[in-house]
Amino acid sequence: MAILSWEVSRKRAFSVGLAPALLVLSAITLLPTLALIVVSFTPLNLTDPAGTFHFRNPLGNYRQLWADTRFLNSVAVQLTLSLSSVALQLAAGLGMALLLNARQAVLTAVRAVFLIPMVLPPIVVALIWKIMYTPEVSPLHHMLEQAGLPVESLITNPGAALWAISFAETWQWFPFTMLMVLAALQMMPDDPLEAARIDGANRWQIFRYIVFPYIRPALVIAGLFRLIDSFKAFPLIYVLTNGGPGTVTEVTNFYGFIQAFNFSYWGYASAIAVLMLAGAFLLSWAISRWGAHHDDE
Amino acid sequence: MTTNNPGAQAAALAHAGPGRDAGQPRFTAALARRIAAIDWRVCAALALLLAVMFPFLWLVQLSLRPADDLFGESLLFVPSLDSFRSLLQGDFLASLINSLVVSTASTGLSLLIGVPAAYALTRWRFRARRRIALWVLVTRMAPPIAFTIPFYLAYRWSGLLDTSLGLVIVYLTFNLAIVIWLMQTYFASIPQALEEAAYIDGCGVWGAFRRVTLPLTAPGLAATAVLCFVFSWNDFFYALILTRTHATTAPVAIVNFLQYEGWEWSKIAAAGTLVMLPVVIFTVLVRSYLVRGMTAGSVKD
Repeated sequence: MAILSWEVSRKRAFSVGLAPALLVLSAITLLPTLALIVVSFTPLNLTDPAGTFHFRNPLGNYRQLWADTRFLNSVAVQLTLSLSSVALQLAAGLGMALLLNARQAVLTAVRAVFLIPMVLPPIVVALIWKIMYTPEVSPLHHMLEQAGLPVESLITNPGAALWAISFAETWQWFPFTMLMVLAALQMMPDDPLEAARIDGANRWQIFRYIVFPYIRPALVIAGLFRLIDSFKAFPLIYVLTNGGPGTVTEVTNFYGFIQAFNFSYWGYASAIAVLMLAGAFLLSWAISRWGAHHDDE
Repeated sequence: MTTNNPGAQAAALAHAGPGRDAGQPRFTAALARRIAAIDWRVCAALALLLAVMFPFLWLVQLSLRPADDLFGESLLFVPSLDSFRSLLQGDFLASLINSLVVSTASTGLSLLIGVPAAYALTRWRFRARRRIALWVLVTRMAPPIAFTIPFYLAYRWSGLLDTSLGLVIVYLTFNLAIVIWLMQTYFASIPQALEEAAYIDGCGVWGAFRRVTLPLTAPGLAATAVLCFVFSWNDFFYALILTRTHATTAPVAIVNFLQYEGWEWSKIAAAGTLVMLPVVIFTVLVRSYLVRGMTAGSVKD
């Protein structure tokens, strides 16, 4: 009897602790999401809020998106940017982790310094690369000029602008993959490595058949995380190219921002945001699924 | 660099030993051994470190350059704090203070609400637990534009646009998720038996939490607070959209400099250096915890 009432009071205490957070979370995430979905079914425009908040053509925005070449272009730009920069991050992060994976004081210190790009405010990263890509102040442009090889600014060149952004994004985020891979490498048991060495496996074989399978889960997770976060990339594009030249670097996130805050097409921008949210949800679900699956192994 | 490397020590000994004037061949052999003893891995790591950090260091040196030597090539110049001085005499100081106030307030509020929730979620195994975990994860992943549109509309009507309070509330969208996610991992590492001892001594659930569990997770709590602060401090997107003039934060002020004073590079670089300074200091202080926080959700606990 006493134990039962203890259980009841314990549950009550936990509910009291949990309730405020769930209430606040609902108010700041569920409610806005609901509002976003509702607005996405209207042609809301803030220059005429009363006249444009109606549901006469609820799927109008979504139908329009399907035919909007600028939107479709933004999806293609987004995919190019995200996939290229995540691939570069995985390659650079993996290489760096393998290089730094040794018990030496110098390497530990180097590892710590490599954390800096990742924690920098994104706006400062954008500023750093604005300086690197602006010929008047960039030491790189200056050096190329001295060598007799002047190069025009990458961020105003339609063929190079997206790659310039992808490179800056990689610079900031390769340490994330590096950390995840280093953590996996440090948990790796020594026995299989020794056994392989005794059996005469060469370096490549050891990496391919023993180390790589061991760190693959870390690479997959790092890739998925960075993929989701790359859909949010905003300051780099805002500061470096502002979506240009033309619409060469206009990613979906940026296009949604322009539709809402430059053109005041709130209903249309909401439809774009709903699609992005759905994408983030699917990828998060994949991560939690994958994590659960990994647990069972 | 090679002092704790036995090979290098041997080579150094051989070089300094009695064989010093014993003729050319011996010397070359020592040199060869010395070269062989150089740790190529360390050399490669240091070279890459320099290459990667170069753009970052360039920003810092630009902020210290005197205005008349802005485009000088020589790295030998007398550092000057002029750009910092003129920066802090202008409006930038106000935005820096606002950043500090908003980040601190949002951190405090999210800890206050999120820590008890994280504890309840760790100790109480109820059915909806997994669904709440997914909800928190999606909140962390959601693109900010999805929240910005409804928040902007709501703030326009409620008058919270361009206020610090408005930013504090918006920052809860990511900070609460961080606190709930991270603190669960710390609470899970505290054995429940310790709390049960406190129950027997007559503490309630929250009494035991406050007296036993919370002090034991203090380092984790501090690290979580630092992360919340850094994420709020680093935010640009929400502040750009939800503020105009009164509640501007430092990252938005930097962009205003870029747009209106695009030629004053040393001033802009000084602003960038000031904004990243606290974050870099925190990184050095709580390195290992930071790693755990940045990778939160990626490791199943």
